[in-house]
Amino acid sequence: MDPYETENPFEEDTDRVQSEASSAYRVNLSAPSSPPSQSSRIPSSPSLGSASRPAFPSSGSHRQPQAYKSDFCCTRDQWLHSGEEVEIVITDALKTSVNSSSTYITYVIKSGTAEAQHRYSEFESLRTSLARLYPTLIIPPIPSKQTIGDYAVKQAKAKEDAAMIARRKRMLQTFLNRIARHPILSNEHVFHRFLDGEVSWTEVLHSPPLSLLPTNILKAPSHNPTDQNASPGYTALPNPSATHALRRPDQRFLDSEVFTNKFAAHLSGPMEKVTRRTMKRWSDSSHDHAELGAALNGFSLNESGQLSSAIEKTGQAVDATYMSTTLLLQELEQNWAEPLHEYTQFATIIKKLLVYRHQKHVQYEMTQENLEAKREQLEELEKSEHAARRLEEALGRGRTSADSPRTEDGTPSSGDNSRADTGYLPPHPGPNPVRRRAPGMGFLSALSYTLHGMMDVDPATARRNAISKAREQISLLEDALHLSAQDLKYSSSTIQADLDRFQRQKVADIREMAISMAKSHRDWCKKNLEAWEEAKREVEKIPDHPNRMLEEIVEDSGGVANGSRESTSTIDGH
Amino acid sequence: MLGEDDDVFDSVTWESPSAPTYDAGPSAPTGPGFRQSTAESEPGHGPHDPKWEGYLITSVKDPVKELADTKDAYVSYLVSAKTNLPIFSTPNPSARRRFQDFVFLRNHLSKDFPACVVPPLPDKHRLEYVTGDRFSPEFMERRRADLHRFLQRLSRHPTLQRSTLLRAFFESTEWHVTMHQHVAHPPGPEHTTGVIDSISDTLLNAFSRVRKPDERFLAMREGVDKFEEGIVLTERLWSRIRNRTNDGTLEPGEDLTGDYHDMAVAVQGLGFLESGITDPLNHFSNTLLEFSALLRHTTQTTTDPFLIHLHSLLQYSHANRAVLKLRDQKQMDFEELSDYLSGVTSERDRSYLKDRVDALRGADDDRSRVEKMRKLDAKIKELQDAVQTAHETSDAFSDETLREQTVFQYAKEAEMKEMLGNLADGQMEFYKAAMDEWDRIIPIIQRIRVDV
Repeated sequence: MDPYETENPFEEDTDRVQSEASSAYRVNLSAPSSPPSQSSRIPSSPSLGSASRPAFPSSGSHRQPQAYKSDFCCTRDQWLHSGEEVEIVITDALKTSVNSSSTYITYVIKSGTAEAQHRYSEFESLRTSLARLYPTLIIPPIPSKQTIGDYAVKQAKAKEDAAMIARRKRMLQTFLNRIARHPILSNEHVFHRFLDGEVSWTEVLHSPPLSLLPTNILKAPSHNPTDQNASPGYTALPNPSATHALRRPDQRFLDSEVFTNKFAAHLSGPMEKVTRRTMKRWSDSSHDHAELGAALNGFSLNESGQLSSAIEKTGQAVDATYMSTTLLLQELEQNWAEPLHEYTQFATIIKKLLVYRHQKHVQYEMTQENLEAKREQLEELEKSEHAARRLEEALGRGRTSADSPRTEDGTPSSGDNSRADTGYLPPHPGPNPVRRRAPGMGFLSALSYTLHGMMDVDPATARRNAISKAREQISLLEDALHLSAQDLKYSSSTIQADLDRFQRQKVADIREMAISMAKSHRDWCKKNLEAWEEAKREVEKIPDHPNRMLEEIVEDSGGVANGSRESTSTIDGH
Repeated sequence: MLGEDDDVFDSVTWESPSAPTYDAGPSAPTGPGFRQSTAESEPGHGPHDPKWEGYLITSVKDPVKELADTKDAYVSYLVSAKTNLPIFSTPNPSARRRFQDFVFLRNHLSKDFPACVVPPLPDKHRLEYVTGDRFSPEFMERRRADLHRFLQRLSRHPTLQRSTLLRAFFESTEWHVTMHQHVAHPPGPEHTTGVIDSISDTLLNAFSRVRKPDERFLAMREGVDKFEEGIVLTERLWSRIRNRTNDGTLEPGEDLTGDYHDMAVAVQGLGFLESGITDPLNHFSNTLLEFSALLRHTTQTTTDPFLIHLHSLLQYSHANRAVLKLRDQKQMDFEELSDYLSGVTSERDRSYLKDRVDALRGADDDRSRVEKMRKLDAKIKELQDAVQTAHETSDAFSDETLREQTVFQYAKEAEMKEMLGNLADGQMEFYKAAMDEWDRIIPIIQRIRVDV
């Protein structure tokens, strides 16, 4: 049993775990940690023109084409793994009331040739299902139910709704593409059926594998919670709470937890707050510019000549600032604020993932404790059985001195052990481990009390029953411990691998965010610069004041200036 | 704006050496008062077209704190000019003057030239964009700029640029004497319109209106109203934008400057968390910080001067409006006097008629009647003179005002050109610098290695 105590070397076991993972879709567990085969610098191609800017996830997080895959489960699978850059696009958001008493919004999803329509709650359901199906993977977030801060100015309700729908459209599309680019999730047939849209989502929900999901995924195999042939050992696993402390925590995951908390706090704190504040200010500023542009335009109407056109052009430069700021604001929202919020959600998802692993670890430790406790119990029982037998023998010898010694046939396989240690040597050195109350062990403890009670009635029979019971339980727990150790290893390595993949995706996305922010600002500057240059040209055309030095006049008008000009009483502009 | 002339004044001491021949007496040749120069219109020029005899380019520089350690400390400024006007005895006059001297100059010019738009001096108390006391460099610079603009406006005025007082302001080595003489012997015609004054005071009140409004001046008045409206609105909105961009405090506050500063700090914090990309994120953070600094810089060097100029132009326009009002006043003087005259005349006519009737009836009170008639006639005669004078004054003032409006239009256009030009330059400078900054960071971020 010792190999399971070591918590580090996952590699040696990976193959075995994989081979045990019988499901067809779990083909490449080691893929996430393998180096990329494709250059990450290929810019994403925003294929269908609905989004003017490349949407997240960034090109950097594109999954490498899995060209080696040949056994496609369906056409969507084939399309996703065609080896080309594919992009799922939400082309439209429609108001409908099909199958419902009230109207709702459905999103039109285009993936290759397939088109599906799903409403928000179905996306939510897909996400939840995937999270239960893959408890060890980081399932990307979907936009939260409430709108994430109203950066845009207060508008009419309908318009606010439109902005909210547009935002959901963008973020849901990002969600789908993140799954499509995930090395494991992209192979999930449930996802393919979601994209295909040939059957209703309700039907998908009520057919395998989703219909086979156990109510408590902690008591199901980590690698495949829907496994119908899962060992009965899983039922013996405890159901620990998320806050249950570990006796021997894994430093790596402790670090991960600390980092995730810091990351979440920084993103939802300073980053998101200051972003929201800045956007609010830009929004106000753009409205001021709109007002000022109009005011200057009105101003120009009351003036005449070149001054009028100069003021008008200045007003147009201010108007241009209004337009460019509005655009800047949109881009900031889509390419900075939204990904930022997405990553705040990611942090929450990762926290949950780490909790799952933590619980798996606790399960393992508790099972181990239970097993030890059971073994001790068995030993005690056997000891007393042994003592009882010796007593019986002694009594027998006294009564029938010539009797041949009895064989041990009647007693189940305790013989070797009890023969070997005649003394009271405890099998496990050291003090007994502290027994903790584990929620899952309630039944077994109760059982043992009952057994104790029975002993009084018929000590010998009760004892023998208890021994056989304990042996059964030990065998079950040994099984469970084995499974639990496997699960823990599988979870740890898979979660670690997906965290590594996530980290790379995060760096790629931060890179993309920073670039698009810089570009948006640069374009903003460029547009305003051009507008002001144009205004300046018009301002330059305003005639100079007559009170100028002669040299200047000569310079300004070049060769046109004639000698008689020295009497400055002739003045331009009459 | 006169930067290109700077070196011209290098050799000039502040006590202009070429001034001694100057006759500082009040008998200076230029015709004073609002009638000055109207008669000199040349062929090809409309009667209301202003003409400039030459150029006068002025500047105010080099503020120095004088008597620094006494309680009488004050700031003096170097005022200098470049001119070809015959009235000046040197083409490069210069002198040192203090704020009070400017006040004297303005007050007396506006007294001597009631029909001219004499530019206002900066409001002593409007210093909201400046911190520190009146000897702080910011204050002195701000005031220097204001005084510079004041002299520039004077020098652009075809009449004022040739006034003796302005000449003395630039040339006189004994400015105190000049001031004294000017007060003792103000130029201009003696105010012989005593009748008008005495009668006007009793007849006119501030709320009376011109009865026969002159279309030309109504349009002018409307133009001034709309111009000021435009300026006021622009100033209000632009101040709002300014305060959103940078509220004027050095600390990052509730404005865009502060927002980008805070964002820079947040991005730096993210860089600490993401150990793999700390360096590029630090660069990005610096760009955000730089952008914040550029926003602050452009507020100080472009927006604030623009707002100050805008406000100053508004005050200049107020002075222009005051002249228009004064013209209305002159017309009202005339109208009221005419009314009074016609009242007196009809009274005499009635008396005359009554006399005739009485005479026919044989009733005879000859002596008192003749006396009364004589008095009335005398009054009518006096009034007729007054009406005549008021009429001439009103007409002349109207003519002068028409010309003055053209002058102001020139000044306004030139200032708008300067103001909008500076604004555009400042904006272009800001956007260029910011664009470079953002452009610079893009390749640095692009260099982040991504392994996916």
